[in-house]
Amino acid sequence: MVELQDHNSTEKPNWCPGCGNFTILKSVQKALTELHCEPHNAVLVSGVGCFAKLPYWTKTNGFVGLHGRSLPVAQGIKLANKDLTVIAFGGDGDGYSEGGNHFIHACRRDVPITYIVHNNGVFGLTTGQYSPTSDIGKKSKSSPLGSTERPLNPLAVAIASGATFVARTYAGNMSHCVDILTKAIQHDGFALVDVIQPCLTFGKTTKYYTERVYYLDDKYDPSDKSIAFIKAVESEHGQKIACGILYRETKV
Amino acid sequence: MNSFVIRIGGEAGWGIATAADIIAKVFIKAGYHVFLHKEYASQIKGGHNYHTIRVSSIPIAAPIEHVNVLLALDSATGEKHTTFVVDGGTIIFNDSVEIRTTKRNVHYVPLQITKIQQESIEKNVANAIFVGAAVKLCSIGYDILESVMEDIFKHKPVLLETFRTAVQKGYNSIEKSNTINFPALKKSLSLGFYTGNDAITQGALDAGITFHAQYPMTPVSKILHNLAKDAITTEALTVVQPEDEIAAINMALGASYAGARAMTATSGGGFSLMVESVGLASMAEIPLVLIEGQRPGPATGIPTKTEQGDLSFVLSAGQGDFPRVVIAPGNVQECYTETKRAFYIAEKYQLPVIVLVDTAVAESFVTVTLSDDLHIDFSQRFNIINTVGNSQIKDGMFMRYEGEPLLRTVPGTKNGMYTCAGDEHTEVGCITEDPTIRTSMMRRRMDKLNLIETELPPPELYGSSDADVTVVCWGSTTSAVKEVVDTLNSEGKKINLLQMKYMCPFHTTTVHDILKKSKKTILIENNYSGQLGRLIKEQTGIAMHETITKYNGQPFTVDEVYKLIIQKW
Repeated sequence: MVELQDHNSTEKPNWCPGCGNFTILKSVQKALTELHCEPHNAVLVSGVGCFAKLPYWTKTNGFVGLHGRSLPVAQGIKLANKDLTVIAFGGDGDGYSEGGNHFIHACRRDVPITYIVHNNGVFGLTTGQYSPTSDIGKKSKSSPLGSTERPLNPLAVAIASGATFVARTYAGNMSHCVDILTKAIQHDGFALVDVIQPCLTFGKTTKYYTERVYYLDDKYDPSDKSIAFIKAVESEHGQKIACGILYRETKV
Repeated sequence: MNSFVIRIGGEAGWGIATAADIIAKVFIKAGYHVFLHKEYASQIKGGHNYHTIRVSSIPIAAPIEHVNVLLALDSATGEKHTTFVVDGGTIIFNDSVEIRTTKRNVHYVPLQITKIQQESIEKNVANAIFVGAAVKLCSIGYDILESVMEDIFKHKPVLLETFRTAVQKGYNSIEKSNTINFPALKKSLSLGFYTGNDAITQGALDAGITFHAQYPMTPVSKILHNLAKDAITTEALTVVQPEDEIAAINMALGASYAGARAMTATSGGGFSLMVESVGLASMAEIPLVLIEGQRPGPATGIPTKTEQGDLSFVLSAGQGDFPRVVIAPGNVQECYTETKRAFYIAEKYQLPVIVLVDTAVAESFVTVTLSDDLHIDFSQRFNIINTVGNSQIKDGMFMRYEGEPLLRTVPGTKNGMYTCAGDEHTEVGCITEDPTIRTSMMRRRMDKLNLIETELPPPELYGSSDADVTVVCWGSTTSAVKEVVDTLNSEGKKINLLQMKYMCPFHTTTVHDILKKSKKTILIENNYSGQLGRLIKEQTGIAMHETITKYNGQPFTVDEVYKLIIQKW
């Protein structure tokens, strides 16, 4: 029997107090525990960024590699040993900027790993520059007059790139996080879980998200790709952010 | 020079490579050693391609300048290569294209290609007609040619029939009076016919490779092709063609960390992209075999030509000081052995091992057996443990980055968890900035090189023991130099050769002692700046007396090396 504490490290995370990463870390551990995954049979793979230290603070196999490169490492691990539960982590800078190419092709390749992206719309560890998911007009040290670039829509990109499981969850809601992660880990294919989270130091506030986030209910059919696109694009208006499994391909 | 040379030239897409392959195999079947060197352009159709088949009764592995029989499928071949045809040589040409050059004492033999093709059902068979003509010209029996064709086209019966018909027409169109007496030798040698790429593939397979990730790039794409084919029948082997070279190396690292014997291969451009990850392999102590096939740089350079310009780069690529092993095989046989050795060193010492080859050795075919006396049992794993004792655990994590010998677990091992880390780390792989730990971890990593040096055979001189001249070289250049050293010694001169194979770690003391005793040293390298010369100077303090470099995209020929050494003597 696997207990939650089996995944707990004696090392304590050094993230800013109140950071959504704490929720994501705990959600991953809970999901692995719910799925009876023993720590030695799971591998957590990350790159570089605030989020990327997550594997250091678990008592699980970890691989902390280079900025943007968690996906190829994770796919290599899974291809070498299909019995392992492999979870890759990215950030909006690490995964959608530096590792953008790997993201598209991991969606296409459909190696059964889970990809959790800590998406807070800002570069945290390099002290607050605008990121690929920052809104137009985002003022930062590297965009003093406001960013002129349109934000990337990772869920739409994933659907268009052939991903078979595309979900969004919110770091302000641990039970939803655990639920989505559990389903993502169980998915027999590449599973993207974009986790939106505030950055209390450099990014959007908790209030911003709580006003916009809503959850897809049982009536929503995730097998329809066209509807999934509409849901993915909906967030671009900045008013509503759908959380849940937007798209899931049922394998025959 | 003990050689007979046939050259075939024409446009890309005309089947020049197939023709050269068949002619080469006919001579091998007739008992000869063969060296097949390809010159092709970076285009799929058109352009000027030529392949040179050097035949000898003794082993050979380097190009020479003269041509005995030129097969000119087009006028460009005649224009560019007539100058190399020897007195008494033959040019077989397509009678409907103009061969504008004429050379005295050369036999011109026309082939009625247009007429023969008009009579045939299949039209694009000029290459086959030339093959038949060339084999007949050399007085080699049709039965040998037939068996080679049957072997090459064994899974393509329709193509075999078409090809055979055209070959016979070419064969029968050569008059007996035009033939050269080139008898099949009595015994056929049981030799393989491999390129460096093939030898690397075979070495990897014999070392038990289970994972290969490679983005295609000349001159090493054939490794990907070979292994992709092998993966169909080898259950344990996974081959991936990923989105780019960064993905290739990181996939290989992930697989290796998870217990696979992993390799990647690329050329200088792809290696440039991989550099940060080479450092990761060293920092996180992950075994990796990386094949780097050099071609002329920088940038895209000359994609299909040869050069030895990446030595300094691979030796120093990456931020920070970290251990890596760099091995540069000098011929096809060494590509096989050194790839196996690379897998052994990488797994045992848990670091990146770069096997540095060049186009000339990667893509040229030689007759060789691919065997060696490297006694390594690849059925066992080196320094991987399956059970972890309490003394190896700290706070529930395996102390992977501590102790001697270097031991690791793979994920899935109970109590074997640690973090494989690109950050500086503690003994269990947790991120740290502690200065004391940093110092001891740097030492742990760098000390590997001292251990590895003792595992690598030190360099030895080849040739005269009392030489007036010592030639120093590496990579494919070695084969040409070796032949010249043999020739000069047989002519009464005293010369020897120092081939450098292990670039890092470097046998500093041995090389120093050898060079200190040398009366005169001549460095020969296929690059602009004499990179090996710089390395030797850095390691031993000894500068070469003379340096010969070449950087026009072509390999050194035996004749060229002979002349240059005499000039510098």
